[in-house]
Amino acid sequence: MTTPRDSGGTWGPIALGLATLVGVLAVIEAMIRIGWINAFIVPLPSAVLLSFERIIVEEGVLKRFLFTAAEALSAGTLVALVGISLGVLLYRRQILRLACENWIAALAAAPLVLLYPLFLVIFGRNAVTIVMIGFLSGLPPAILKTVEGLSGTRRTLIDVGRSFNLSPSQQFRKILFPAALPTIFVGLRLGLMFALINIVGVEFLINFGGLGQFVNELAERYDLPAMYAAIFFVILVSVGFFLLTERIERWLGRAR
Amino acid sequence: MLRVEGLVKRFAAADETITALDHVSFDVAQGEVLSVIGPSGCGKSTVFNIIGGLTDADEGRVIVEGQTVSGPHPAIGMVFQEESTFPWRTVVENIAFPLEIAGKAKDERIARAREYLALVGLQGFERHYPAELSGGMRQRVAIARTLASHPKILLMDEPFAALDEQTRFLLGDKVLQIQQKLAQTTLLVTHNIAEAVQLSDRVVVMTYRPGRVKRVVAIDLPRPRTSEVAGSVAFQAFVGEIWNDLREEASRGMLEAEAHSRRAT
Amino acid sequence: MSTGGRFGITRVVRVRIAIVVVVLAVWEAVAMSGWLFRDVVPRLEKIGRALLTLLAKPDLYGNLGTTAYEVGLSLVVGGIAGVAVGLLMGGNRTLGKAFEPYLHYLGPTPKIIFFPIMIMWFGVGGGSKIAMGAISCFFPMAISTAVGMREIDAVLVRVGKSFRAGVGQMVTKIYLPAMRPAMLTGLRLGLGVAIIGVLLAETKLSNRGLGYMVIQSYTRFDIAEMYALLIVVFLVAIAANALVSRLGALKRGSS
Repeated sequence: MTTPRDSGGTWGPIALGLATLVGVLAVIEAMIRIGWINAFIVPLPSAVLLSFERIIVEEGVLKRFLFTAAEALSAGTLVALVGISLGVLLYRRQILRLACENWIAALAAAPLVLLYPLFLVIFGRNAVTIVMIGFLSGLPPAILKTVEGLSGTRRTLIDVGRSFNLSPSQQFRKILFPAALPTIFVGLRLGLMFALINIVGVEFLINFGGLGQFVNELAERYDLPAMYAAIFFVILVSVGFFLLTERIERWLGRAR
Repeated sequence: MLRVEGLVKRFAAADETITALDHVSFDVAQGEVLSVIGPSGCGKSTVFNIIGGLTDADEGRVIVEGQTVSGPHPAIGMVFQEESTFPWRTVVENIAFPLEIAGKAKDERIARAREYLALVGLQGFERHYPAELSGGMRQRVAIARTLASHPKILLMDEPFAALDEQTRFLLGDKVLQIQQKLAQTTLLVTHNIAEAVQLSDRVVVMTYRPGRVKRVVAIDLPRPRTSEVAGSVAFQAFVGEIWNDLREEASRGMLEAEAHSRRAT
Repeated sequence: MSTGGRFGITRVVRVRIAIVVVVLAVWEAVAMSGWLFRDVVPRLEKIGRALLTLLAKPDLYGNLGTTAYEVGLSLVVGGIAGVAVGLLMGGNRTLGKAFEPYLHYLGPTPKIIFFPIMIMWFGVGGGSKIAMGAISCFFPMAISTAVGMREIDAVLVRVGKSFRAGVGQMVTKIYLPAMRPAMLTGLRLGLGVAIIGVLLAETKLSNRGLGYMVIQSYTRFDIAEMYALLIVVFLVAIAANALVSRLGALKRGSS
């Protein structure tokens, strides 16, 4: 992923971006006040801003965030355990890898989240359904990246291990797995991201859970300013999570 | 045919202004092969870009057939150092590219491209993609592409830099053949002394930064030439002569690079 | 397409068949045992019959058409907007640094939560579904266009300039062909998320489309039909993805 990161004025463009954002919001505010935009369709940005306090204090957005986070954590743990294990299995048994890799890649692009009505039937309208959807959506990238990381270990490193007469399990624990860790982490990060997106999405759709459910509830209540604020909150969480994992990934990458 | 007058080019670096070129002047006569040689950092690629019209000089000018150059001139054809073939076009489509830009009809384009394809010795590879060819073959495609636009002056920037020594000699032979057949006026920028002597009629030796013309050496080895001339005593003498001039500049360059690295750490 | 390596292609095929057989056998066993509530894991025969019944229903094809239409239109809207923005971001370094981070970070968010807003702006009909699909596929297309543009080999641009190509020629003969691989990736990703966006929107609020059919079978508790529908949807989605990949590899030989 290349984002533009040349030298020469890193703060100027960032300021430009922020300024444009603020500017657009100001224009929208003005247009609503004048009456060019219907306030029942687009709420005043200032009203949305004020709602932030309300959703934190009155509506307990933080509690809901924790609920979503718990679901994400559960899904993430499952993704890590099952994903890495299956990835290792596929790496170890080449024939399985050849048979399954394409299928898993196809699944990664498929609309797995559409299985949620089925899971509603199987597990009921509760957190299990949500975690299962999250788990399923996050699984393919975790498996694929684990396989990729293990098989992409530099030949030289493997030869170093062999020159020290390491047993196969030692070879795996001390060389292959550590060398593959950065790539595996990329897979876990992708998996967790897909899981989080789908978790919030399903919460919204089945009206159960944390943040996603919150947005749905506010929409049904027709509390527009609060709904926009809640959506923004979800975006903040998503961005924050993304930035955090990017940071960790870069830190891991430097060790390489 | 081509006259370079008093080129000056400065760059703004971190805390100082660097003069890359300091009043560089030379001529290229019709049908002549002129090499510009110098150590890394002498500004020869800058000369290449200025003559080719991709960069402007701060002072001085370039005159081609009586016209001052500003922007890429139709009489000048450029061959670049890096991989420059279009990966999504076949060999013949690559070579036909300048003719396509000029708006020539398809049949004429392909016919002319085929001629130049044969000239560089790549018959049979029309439909291949660059990814299927070796580095040397890709450079030949790039050269054919430029030649297909019938440039009065061929401008080449270290065209063989990415190739191994033996391929260089062979490709150099090929270029010699073509140049002699077409009587193509050629300006070659290089850091390889043997290459310069093998191909040129005259060699312009540049100093390290700020780049000036140190000396112009006339290579009067007989023509027509082939790479066999590399074995002759006269050849070695010319190489030695030019190296003498270059050695001082090259070591200055190296010392400065080391000082720079030391400062950076 | 795996060629089977040292195992040969038939061995791989046999393993695949074996996997499918095992999965189906386990399924049938679970269905017969009654371990899960009976209708939740129907026997294969029941699913098979539901599938055939479904495929015979003209209803299915009408709804498939609706979904396909909504996805197609959202690709057009989101795609054009995405490519336009991507070109701007990739072409201008300042604009890129100012706004591309927003794209980068807004991309991986659950778009479905914007659905109420889409309904308010575009109504309860197809418009809101198309809008959902469009905002979903906008991001991958914009980002891959911007990246594709930035990663164009600089020397190729210089070649064009040295031959004095006009702006239009530079765009059609150099920029676009050079960006093609990146944009195809963006299109594949965009198709995937557009399908998801439209289907989910249909499950939430719609009276047409494949997503609507799935939710209908849920409310009617016709689980076998739901399975059949899901099978159809997945096959169509995978086929669409494969089609785009094939289309991409087709036009030019190798890259």
